[in-house]
Amino acid sequence: MNDMRIVERDVDQNDVKIAAKGVQVYYGDTHAIKDVDVDIEDKTVTAFIGPSGCGKSTFLRCINRMNDTIDVCRVMGDIHIDGEDIYDSKVDPVQLRAKVGMVFQKPNPFPKSIYDNVAYGPRIHGLAKNKAELDDLVEKSLRRGAIWDEVKDRLDAPGTGLSGGQQQRLCIARAVATEPEVLLMDEPCSALDPIATAQVEELIDELRQSYSVVIVTHSMQQAARVSQKTAFFHLGNLVEYGETGQIFTNPVDPRTESYITGRIG
Amino acid sequence: MTDAAMTPESARPTKSLTHEDARTKKRNASERRFRAYGIAAICTGLFFLLALLAAILSAGLPAFRQAVVEVPFTMTQEQFDEAEEAMLKTAIYTDYFITSLSDTMQAEGVQIEFDEDAVDRLLGKVGGDLRAYYRENQDQIGEQIGFELAASSRVDRYLKGTFTRDDLQSGNRFFMPEDFDLIDAMQEAGLIKQVFNWNFITGVDTGVDNPGGAGIGASVLGSFFMMLVVLALSLPIGVAASIYLEEFAPKNRFTDFIEVNIANLAAVPSIVFGILGLAVFIQFAHLPQSAPLVGGLVLTLMTLPTIIISTRASLKAVPPSIRDAALGVGASKMQSVFHHVLPLAAPGILTGTIIGLAQALGETAPLLLIGMVGFVARYPDTFVEGFLEPNSAVPAQIYNWAARSDAVFTEKAWGGIIVLLLFLITMNTIAVILRRRFERRW
Repeated sequence: MNDMRIVERDVDQNDVKIAAKGVQVYYGDTHAIKDVDVDIEDKTVTAFIGPSGCGKSTFLRCINRMNDTIDVCRVMGDIHIDGEDIYDSKVDPVQLRAKVGMVFQKPNPFPKSIYDNVAYGPRIHGLAKNKAELDDLVEKSLRRGAIWDEVKDRLDAPGTGLSGGQQQRLCIARAVATEPEVLLMDEPCSALDPIATAQVEELIDELRQSYSVVIVTHSMQQAARVSQKTAFFHLGNLVEYGETGQIFTNPVDPRTESYITGRIG
Repeated sequence: MTDAAMTPESARPTKSLTHEDARTKKRNASERRFRAYGIAAICTGLFFLLALLAAILSAGLPAFRQAVVEVPFTMTQEQFDEAEEAMLKTAIYTDYFITSLSDTMQAEGVQIEFDEDAVDRLLGKVGGDLRAYYRENQDQIGEQIGFELAASSRVDRYLKGTFTRDDLQSGNRFFMPEDFDLIDAMQEAGLIKQVFNWNFITGVDTGVDNPGGAGIGASVLGSFFMMLVVLALSLPIGVAASIYLEEFAPKNRFTDFIEVNIANLAAVPSIVFGILGLAVFIQFAHLPQSAPLVGGLVLTLMTLPTIIISTRASLKAVPPSIRDAALGVGASKMQSVFHHVLPLAAPGILTGTIIGLAQALGETAPLLLIGMVGFVARYPDTFVEGFLEPNSAVPAQIYNWAARSDAVFTEKAWGGIIVLLLFLITMNTIAVILRRRFERRW
């Protein structure tokens, strides 16, 4: 870990996109997230690291209210996106999820054609007025997902027939097709081989130009490679949050140091 | 066990891998035994299945064949005019036929004396048939035509060997001992042949005086109308209920209670649904008795739990990652269900529905209670009447025939079972084909 190359980073201060304050999450009686405060910046890749079960995925799923689908899950505290409370009773989670896209751990393309996979989001949100516009949007999204060249000749082929890495990039293309402002990624590379991982990471770096990207990862190397900001979670607490370079080279909290040097976790 | 055996050194097996030790031998033997039991069980099942099929086919296939007597016949214009001027017109026609029949047999070298009553008993009212034919087709006068006449069911049974001279009781006015000789003579002359009995498929039920003419057509139609009712009601209600329970309903005591009761409903004996249908639909709601509409309603009650259970199972089988994916791109709950979950669950729902329908098609007990087992000797005239007029259903008709004393009806009952089985096999095949086709899309 010590010999890891930490690249020079663009550490300009960006606007705050997501502001979380005093977030508590309970699964039934289990207190999964304890009083988390975090400000996530726009046009930045923020990595959540930490051992399994520390609550990083749970916190990620709070940001687009995917936890609403779990009956026993209760979320307290405030999460604001662009200054709006997303847990306000007037907020429709469906509109929120159009604004906050998500990519899951396991590639989960719809069992439809590649084209329909990407076109589904724009269709239900009415983002394209006609077929030609939709075609353009699908192509643009697939290019953004860095998969256009591989699939442009077989857009009618089923999305489930692609390889694992291609499926994950298809899922990323699907997520960006609805033109979200925030992209949440829950261990997007854990099912991929190193080559596919490298492709997805490159993609994440490009996506930073237009989105605020939040990525949960088990790989500290990956966090170091792709992110500008890193948050370390441990047992439901946000232990440390700061510049990625600083977290990996000069952590403040002893628990962070233990984790990144491999003593706990 | 000695102390030495407890030490790690001696506990470690040092024998050759190519040699089976006692434990392995025992384990392998028990595995072989288990496989033998399995094969024996399958063989027993197959044996019973084959025995059942053989019994059904051997007893039921004769119902699909019918003996006809074909007599070459020429009617001259003079004969026609003469017969039409006579007082007892059909008697003259019968005489013509008898002359023609004995001439034909003589030409084949068969000599036999018989009277018109014998013809009546064996071939029915020939004179009337002839007259009706020639009045319709006057251009056929003077031409030779081969006249085909359906033989009575006793002739059929005599030819098939299920009715012999010894079986004939004295005083039977439907059949005389000399009739056997006439049948033999006609057979010798090569006039009798076997044809497919279309009347069994298209005909309606008959009284005890004409068991050979009974057909299953009207009751097939009755079953068809019932299945329309069942499909139209149980599929939408069942699927809507399952989707709500599976995807939208909160998990609480009340939904648990509903769930348990749906499972219980699937195990309720069908006769209970029959008596419920009698009480609610006929006595309380005053729907017409014996009508396929009521039968369909009762069978819908029976089919609903089957459809709900299979639909919920196939909805559950759709991976949650698909729901997450749909919600993740901003689909609403309903969009995620209808755009993604339901299409994936469709093959399972379809199979469950068709199996439920097949179950309903073969159900008899509830139909007995709502009166769909009566004597129905006509087709409904219109589509609406098909739902509202009294009718029977295939299994009820089979039950009805099997309960009658005449052996011909028993044969018809077996034939009806073959028809029912053909419908069931067809439905199951459709289920399999649809399932395959849907699954290939994904």
